[in-house]
This record gives sequence, C-alpha cells and structure tokens, in this order.
Amino acid sequence: MKVLQISKFGEITDSLFINEVNKPTIQSTDILVEVKAASINPIDKSTVLGNMQNILPISLPHTIAYDVSGIVVEKGEEVTNFEIGDLIYSRVPQEQMGTIAEFVAITNSAVSKKPGNISFEEASGIPLAGLTAMQSLEYAGIKENDKILIHAGSGGVGSFAIQYAKAKGAYVYTTTSTSNVDWVKELGADRVIDYKTEDYKSIVKDADIVFDTLGKNYTLEAFEVIKKRGKVVSVVGPIDEEIAKMIGMADYKLPEDLAKLIEDKEATYKFIFMHPNGEHLNTIKTLIEDDKIKPIIDTVYPFEKSIEAFTHLESGRAKGKIVIKIN
Amino acid sequence: MKELIKKIRNSISLSQEAEECLYTISREKVISKGEILICEGQTVKKTFFVTDGCLRSFCTDNNGKEHTLQFAIKDWWISDFIAIYNNELATLTVESITDCKVIEFNAKELDEIYTLYPEFESFQRNNLERHVVSLHKRILNQLQLTAPERYDLFLKQYPEIEQYTPNYHIASYLGITQQSLSRIRVERAKK
Repeated sequence: MKVLQISKFGEITDSLFINEVNKPTIQSTDILVEVKAASINPIDKSTVLGNMQNILPISLPHTIAYDVSGIVVEKGEEVTNFEIGDLIYSRVPQEQMGTIAEFVAITNSAVSKKPGNISFEEASGIPLAGLTAMQSLEYAGIKENDKILIHAGSGGVGSFAIQYAKAKGAYVYTTTSTSNVDWVKELGADRVIDYKTEDYKSIVKDADIVFDTLGKNYTLEAFEVIKKRGKVVSVVGPIDEEIAKMIGMADYKLPEDLAKLIEDKEATYKFIFMHPNGEHLNTIKTLIEDDKIKPIIDTVYPFEKSIEAFTHLESGRAKGKIVIKIN
Repeated sequence: MKELIKKIRNSISLSQEAEECLYTISREKVISKGEILICEGQTVKKTFFVTDGCLRSFCTDNNGKEHTLQFAIKDWWISDFIAIYNNELATLTVESITDCKVIEFNAKELDEIYTLYPEFESFQRNNLERHVVSLHKRILNQLQLTAPERYDLFLKQYPEIEQYTPNYHIASYLGITQQSLSRIRVERAKK
C-alpha cells in the first residue's frame, strides 16, 4: 500500500517521500481502517524536524500523521463496538502513528463512529485539535457563564475551543489577527480581540479560565487576566510537576516566575497532554451532529500532493485544517 | 401487535386463522435509541411496523455524508424495500432515533401470508398505495417547493419529530444544510 513516510529528520521537502509498504496487521483489540482522509497538525511538522525525538522517539523510515477518517474493513476478535463497514474517525495512538496511508490499524478504544452530517475530509480534521481543546477545557471545568480567554482563535485548536466553550454556555474572548477577525466572530466568540490593534490585557479582566495555545510570555501573562483562584490550561507552556513525574522527571520544578504567579493568584496551572480517546470523540460527534461545532477546512490535497500539504502547514497561514484525501 | 390487528381489521375482515398466522410470523421488539436494524451492504430479510417511537432510513454517499430517505413513526412500515423487492444487498441503513417498539416480520413469510389469505391483498395494496402517494409527494415537493415550504410541510407531516430528532437528520431529509435549516427556523420564529 502507498504511504507518506519520513526518511530522515530535517526540512520537509528533503525528509518526506511516498513509499510502498505492506498493509498493517491487526491485534485482537484493533480495527483495520481503509483510510479516506487524513489531516495534518503542527506536531507532524515537529516530528519531521526531529523535535519530538526526545519525548516520542520513532525509528525511520516511519509513516506520518495521527488524524484519520475511513471505513472499518477488518476487526480483531475482541472488538465488539465496531462492525465491518462502520464509518469512523480517530486520533491514533503514538504507537500506531501513520495515517497518511491506504490502511491503518487502530486500537478500538481510540476510535469513534464519524459524525454523519460531515464528509470524510471534514471528519479527519477534527480528532487531534478537537480532543486537545475538549480535554483542556474539561480539565478546567468549563461551565455556563464562565469567562474564558482562548488565544489564537483561528488555529485548529483555538477555533474548535471557541465553539466548544460556546456550546458549554461560556463567555468567550479570543485573540486573532485583523484578517481573521470576521470568520472567528462567526464561530461564536463574544469578543474577538485583534492583537494587531488592541491589547488583550486591557480588555480581558477576571477571567475564570485562560486557554494558552501560544506559550512563552503568553503563559505568564495569563495570570494578569485571570481572577483569583482562576485556572490556566496550556498545551504549549512549561510542563507541570504532575506531568513531569509521569514521564520520569521526578526532580522537575516549575520555572520560578511561573510558580510565583500561581502562588500570588492562588491559581491552578495545568499542562494538558492530549490523549487519544474514542468516547471523547463520540461526545464531539454529537456536538457536530447537533450543529454546535463546525469543522473548518482550509485545503484538501490529493495524496500525491501530500508533501505540498506539509509545506502549506509549515507556512503557518492555514485558516482551519489541512486535509489529505487518500481514497 | 393489537394495534396492527386493529388497523388491519379497519380495512379488511380478518379470519381467526389469519390472525393467528400473523402472530406466528411476527415478533414484538423493544429497540433502544441508536440501534441499527438494517445495515447497508447486508442481506435484508426483515420489515418493521412501528408501534411507538421513530426510526429513519438513510444512505451514505461516497464522501461519508448521510442522506435521510424516510422517517417512520407510529403505524408506518420501514425497511430497505429496494433490497427486498429486487433481491439486492441493502443500500440503506435503518436506525432508531428514539427508543421504539416495532413488530418485526420476515418479509418472505409476510409475502406468503398474502397468498395463503387473499383478504390480505387489499390491506397490502392499501399500504403500497399509501407508500407510493407518500413517495410521489416527497419527490414533487423536492422538485417544486422552496426549502421553507418543505420545512413547513415536514412539520405538518411529522409534528412531534422535531423534538427528538437531531437537526442534521431533518436537514438531510429536506435536502438542505443545517445552516439553512437554522435560518428557516429563525425566520419562522419571527413570524
């Protein structure tokens, strides 16, 4: 079967190539999926550059990408929640990475039936960004009337988070650049802040939650805009001590400036490690079918042009998801 | 089952023997919301008479999007009739969109009963006539009415369905996007 693989770590155009490999075999808890569409995320670019080798090492060559939609064509003997022919979507676990392929094996607990009202291409753009946003906001305990600041509202995670927060009844502030203000407003954000002309710190006050998708100074500044005992959840800032312990860094301490800000505001800070989860995807499926969340696609590339899709991702100019149509 | 017998008695005179025969070939079933009764690509042997709740039949296009063909509420029949009459594999999926009660028949046995007891013929013809009328109306409405007009008709035909059906089922039945359906609803609410 045809796949897109990383041959070496480095620049996109030097490192990716189309290869022919054997169809994957399945374990008893896996399903085999005939891939219809796959989408790519910033983490895939980091993987190609070799930046993920310290945390999630892979051996080369390796098929790339995590997001997928397709049709179940085989199932392991322990799989009871899916049938052959089911239409599914998933963010595959790390050890099953490689969705830009004609087939992929996925453990059934990471899979959900796909929303019936959207296409395969649209569905493939949801899992990673959707799970990241949902798990972050749920960790923060988002509820009706909470005030939340979501950074980078036009990004894959940000645009999903805005819609999720609105579905939960929260008041949403978001930041974006001038050219994106209009369509981000259409996602339902209550106050869209054009960071090129406005200072978000003078607009957002006493937020219950800040969802940090930018990192660096933005992580620290979050504590200026949250209320006392507010919550900052981050997918790019420093890892927290609980996560550090989990990945075997027992002596890890939060950076001092961050620790002080947390103490001063009696706040909670949490780094969110997205984890694949079929049940969460099923919740997202219902929200999409109820029209509470819309998938946002920038471009769909045919499989033969998948390397072009990665250079588009690298440009950082996509408004919504970049999808590769496989079959 | 009593409902169905009553319904049959309303249109034909049913002998005791024929009634007993109906019981032997039918099975009352309680279906939970979201259950699949007929699955696209499989052989179809069953047909269902709805006594409570709501089901729908739909097909899925090559792009993975669903298109609703029919809703079936109390007193309606539902199955993949293309598959049954043409002896083909199912092109439709039938699923329950609420908890339901149905009477399940083996389509072949039901067909045989029409031969054994000719009085059923007129009952069956009435059913088919009603079905053809409904389908023709649906095609004509699709061809000549605007989306808001189709929505109004839908509400008349299935007055309660809106409360328990996800928007996208209704939108896909009407052949419009969910966004258009939302706009139509807002317009209707203003009136």
